[in-house]
Amino acid sequence: MKGVLYLLLLVGACNTALAHQPVMDMAPRWNNGYGIQTRTEHANSTTTQWLEGVYTFKPSVRMTFKLPYADGEFGDAIVAVPIKHYKNAGGFTSSWGLTPSVAMPTGGGSDWDAGLSLSYSAETASLFQLYDVYTLGDKTGLDVNIGPVYADGNGSSLFTLWDVTAVDSASGQRILTGPVLMYFKRNVVVRFEYKMPLLDNDNEWDGDFISAGIGIVY
Amino acid sequence: MLRKITFLALLCAMFSGSLSAQNYVVSVHGIVCELCSLGVAKKLRKLSFIDPSNYDKGIKVDINNQLVYLAVREDAALDKTVLFDAIEAGGYQPIEIWAIDSAGKKLEVSQ
Repeated sequence: MKGVLYLLLLVGACNTALAHQPVMDMAPRWNNGYGIQTRTEHANSTTTQWLEGVYTFKPSVRMTFKLPYADGEFGDAIVAVPIKHYKNAGGFTSSWGLTPSVAMPTGGGSDWDAGLSLSYSAETASLFQLYDVYTLGDKTGLDVNIGPVYADGNGSSLFTLWDVTAVDSASGQRILTGPVLMYFKRNVVVRFEYKMPLLDNDNEWDGDFISAGIGIVY
Repeated sequence: MLRKITFLALLCAMFSGSLSAQNYVVSVHGIVCELCSLGVAKKLRKLSFIDPSNYDKGIKVDINNQLVYLAVREDAALDKTVLFDAIEAGGYQPIEIWAIDSAGKKLEVSQ
């Protein structure tokens, strides 16, 4: 626990960067669970390949990493420590999450960045919702995922979520929105995401956002 | 002939009783997602008293009713403390356990 507090103090002293959880917010939530995911993302006329991983020490403490690869070069790797507080009640589970993160200069630069996000997720057998506010450098953002879940009772489920992403930064504001489809069978997760601009006053943003990925958890 | 029928009836009764005593249900708060429940099943399957020949390698999770079904080996005894610890390590909160017969009917409640 002292190590976690030390890390919190360390990243609090740095700038900001964000690492959303790879694979999925909900898993793995078991002791010594781990997962890996690869994801292709297209935005701003650039295609980026992400390699993402997660290790769960215990349900309340995880560690994640994300490594981007675009235009023949690796970008800055992001390591984060999601800290969660779960509440379980009958057919309902929810969690508050605080996620400090560090961006390491593996992309050729020399700056170390850090960030912080605060999230809340709630779930029943038929509905999933996730809210995440974060800071990232000069950016402040809000992500919302909400929608129904269809489980077949034999180890597979389909999440049909709607995503709203709002970002305010020095270059302007933008709101993107669109569907997120996530299907899993046993421990294999497939995710597709498409977002279009609802509001685009951002000088550094251009067009839609598309992401597709596959992951596995153990 | 009568002795054979009696013997078979006794054998069936013994087998039936043994089987019914080896299946249990645990109510688990919050277990509403099949992907998230993988950890509970994974932890429980490692327990020495779980019988992998029944259900799905000894475990079945019902996310609609927040129940975990488990089969226990006939030559082993269920350890409730170890069982509940495993469910908590899987990320959820066990509440209550009871035995069921082969038809899934509740037999008793263990406190």
